[in-house]
Amino acid sequence: MTDQADQSRRNFLYVAAGGMGAVAAGATVVPFIGSMFPAADTLAAAKTEFDVATVEAGQLVVIQWQGKPVFIVNRTEEYLKQVDGHDEMLKDKNSTHIEAVRADWITPENLKYRSIKPEYLIVVASCTHLGCIPLFKPTAGRKEWGESVPENWPGGWHCPCHGSLYDISARVINGSPAPDNLHLMPYTYKTETQVVIG
Amino acid sequence: MLEKMMKTRLFAWVDERTGAEAIIKSQLTEYPVPKNLNYMWNFGSLALLVLVLQILTGIFLAMYYKPSAALTMGGYTVAFDSVERIMRDVNFGWLIRYMHAVGASAFFVVVYMHIGRGLYYGSYKGPRELLWIIGVVILLIMQGAAFFGYLLPWGQMSFWGATVITNLFGALPVLGEYLQQLLRGGFAVGDPTLNRFFSLHYLFPLLLVAIVGGHVHALHVVHSNNPEGIDVHGDDQKINFHPYYTVKDAFGVGIFLTIYCYVIFFNPQMGGYFIEVDNYVPANNLQTPPHIAPVWYLTPWYTILRSFESKLLGVLMMGGSLAILFLLPFLDRSKVRSARYRPVFKQMVLLFFVCVIVLGYCGHSAPTPTLKLVGQIATAYYFLFFFALLILPKFEKTKPVPDHI
Repeated sequence: MTDQADQSRRNFLYVAAGGMGAVAAGATVVPFIGSMFPAADTLAAAKTEFDVATVEAGQLVVIQWQGKPVFIVNRTEEYLKQVDGHDEMLKDKNSTHIEAVRADWITPENLKYRSIKPEYLIVVASCTHLGCIPLFKPTAGRKEWGESVPENWPGGWHCPCHGSLYDISARVINGSPAPDNLHLMPYTYKTETQVVIG
Repeated sequence: MLEKMMKTRLFAWVDERTGAEAIIKSQLTEYPVPKNLNYMWNFGSLALLVLVLQILTGIFLAMYYKPSAALTMGGYTVAFDSVERIMRDVNFGWLIRYMHAVGASAFFVVVYMHIGRGLYYGSYKGPRELLWIIGVVILLIMQGAAFFGYLLPWGQMSFWGATVITNLFGALPVLGEYLQQLLRGGFAVGDPTLNRFFSLHYLFPLLLVAIVGGHVHALHVVHSNNPEGIDVHGDDQKINFHPYYTVKDAFGVGIFLTIYCYVIFFNPQMGGYFIEVDNYVPANNLQTPPHIAPVWYLTPWYTILRSFESKLLGVLMMGGSLAILFLLPFLDRSKVRSARYRPVFKQMVLLFFVCVIVLGYCGHSAPTPTLKLVGQIATAYYFLFFFALLILPKFEKTKPVPDHI
């Protein structure tokens, strides 16, 4: 039987049938893997509205956006001054690593404040190292915070998990395990104080 | 293709440690199968395919399904809403759910064909008695899995179907009430019932995989029957499973998938047969729908239940109608297997198939006096068929069977 078989025809049929089978199997995988990505209602819940006027001067609130924690800080005059004067301590003072894609509202003027309105800083509250929520330690120096912060502490956040430090504009400080500044996100002001995040 | 793969060094390495070559040879490339199997022998491999599809789609559905009868803010239950969310919001959720729901019906279509083939060609007879018995166990577990799964969408049919079936157990004397509470986890079908049915709906397919493994193993020990129903000896009457029957099975898979896809994409509810219309109404424990019936694949047994005036007798006869399948290999003592050479048996078994379809039709329809009588006659024949087999060999004149195929 084998003697009479046309081997090239047979090989063609093998490859053709196997190829079609592989294409079909690949196509079948699409809906299954596709189903594991966020569903339409999850995506629809991607925007959050918040009234920043409810945040007192000097206060920090944590809200949720897309299931992630977000810091909203009302920075006082004093805190805003702490933004300057420690550029040499920052890993990425101009936030060049990640900002461009995440926040198209950023301009050279608000670069150091990392916010549309200087007083209201809105950042994702997940440490860029491994996702813990950093502790708010806004005043400069060690007076209130003891050994947990360096001597020349400019004020900002300290992550309790692995010791990452961020300044009052949530920019990561040299020596931290975290690679990047706390993430910004797209947001707009719908009215004077009503902010739409996402 | 397979031969080429088996010549590689990687395969040799694996073979040395697993004996893979011996397994492939004994189970596939040199596994002997009678050369005259017809297309009725395709349904076994199809059943395996549908089992795999059901498990696969079920795993993905379980990523979104929530077994809870608690109310949501919208006033529906969490379970019902999670199914609707799968249909509307989850990527390809509609496709995966329809694959699963249609797959349940497809599973029974395929398995009933498989069982019918076994009946017609006498595949349950020695030496294949245990193979048949394992098959009946598979059928019962499938029916259980289907029943548990049907509760999960928590629609009206889910709820009242589960209420009716769990009440069946209440008919049993003494233990009935406890058994009922054990199944429900309460005094009526409710949240605990839904939770445990989800757990059991996940457990039963695992049992199926194990028992199907046993079924295939048992088959490979006693080997396939064939349409002539005779023992085959000699190499000229047998061909290797691979490539001959793998190709034939693959062709059957192609036909099956074409029909399966047609139903999924164009008619997933199959006119209310595969997914009942009333199940799109959320479960309401204070109002029974005007007409309730199980899904089509359970209706023959439902008719047997309804055919008796005594509740207990109905329950026992329904159980008996399934249990009697276990006894079939021992009831039928005829030496001839295939209906081709048993003229009386052939008429009887064909009438039996019609009878099961009639039972199914009666069970799906609203009860009327005429249908009740028809159902009772069909029920009587259902049992008569099995007991007539006991005495049939005494007077049936079988045709001479061929000595080779």
